[in-house]
Amino acid sequence: MSAAAIAERRFLQQQRCRILYRKSLKCVLDWAVHRDIFYIEAEKTRLQFEANRDLQNLETIDRLLFEGEARLAKFQHPDPYIVPWCPGGSKYARNPPVPPVIEVVNDFGRESSH
Amino acid sequence: MRHAVRALHSCVLRRLQVQVQLDLPLKASVTPATRWCRRMFSDEAHATHLDRGEVVARVLDVVKTHPKADPTKVTESASFQDVGLDSLDTVELVMSIEEEFAVAIPDAVADKISSCPEAIEYIASHPSAK
Repeated sequence: MSAAAIAERRFLQQQRCRILYRKSLKCVLDWAVHRDIFYIEAEKTRLQFEANRDLQNLETIDRLLFEGEARLAKFQHPDPYIVPWCPGGSKYARNPPVPPVIEVVNDFGRESSH
Repeated sequence: MRHAVRALHSCVLRRLQVQVQLDLPLKASVTPATRWCRRMFSDEAHATHLDRGEVVARVLDVVKTHPKADPTKVTESASFQDVGLDSLDTVELVMSIEEEFAVAIPDAVADKISSCPEAIEYIASHPSAK
């Protein structure tokens, strides 16, 4: 494989690793709501990632990434925290604005133009 | 008799047309930063973009209070690597920024934020950052 292809593959692996770390921290935050417990568990997660910091073999890294993603999939919280006003949250698009085309005419029973 | 009615029914329906006139105002200005929130949902209607000075101050505070960041090197145009953070620390820092401003950044976008000005730009252009 050419050097550029190897560099590209490493870049993609680093990106996958960062996204895996992000998802695992969010998963830990879903489970460990109390902040002091979260910090302890997040530190443990970080140590797991740091243990594999200096690997060079592309195949090993790929295999570890797949295993990590599989382990993360088992730990997903059934009711994860989603910010309410962001897509997927309970308050997202709760009161959308009425389009200005629609006009409410209050004539209080005078039955003017029905 | 029934076939005739049905034939007449379909014949009439094929000829009838309802004129639809949409006079909804079209959004004229779409910048790349606001393209994803173009729809007329409540977060765009009740958009409360934060004041830029406040965003800068709060983002720099979050960066300074990260345990592995060097507070003296934190400036408005510093990248997170200049401050002394590696890539996993950057992930943690972006999560802290998300929690500070109560936003949810999608994973693909969050991966690209790797410096203070990018973070400030994202939060300042987010319609529902608190």
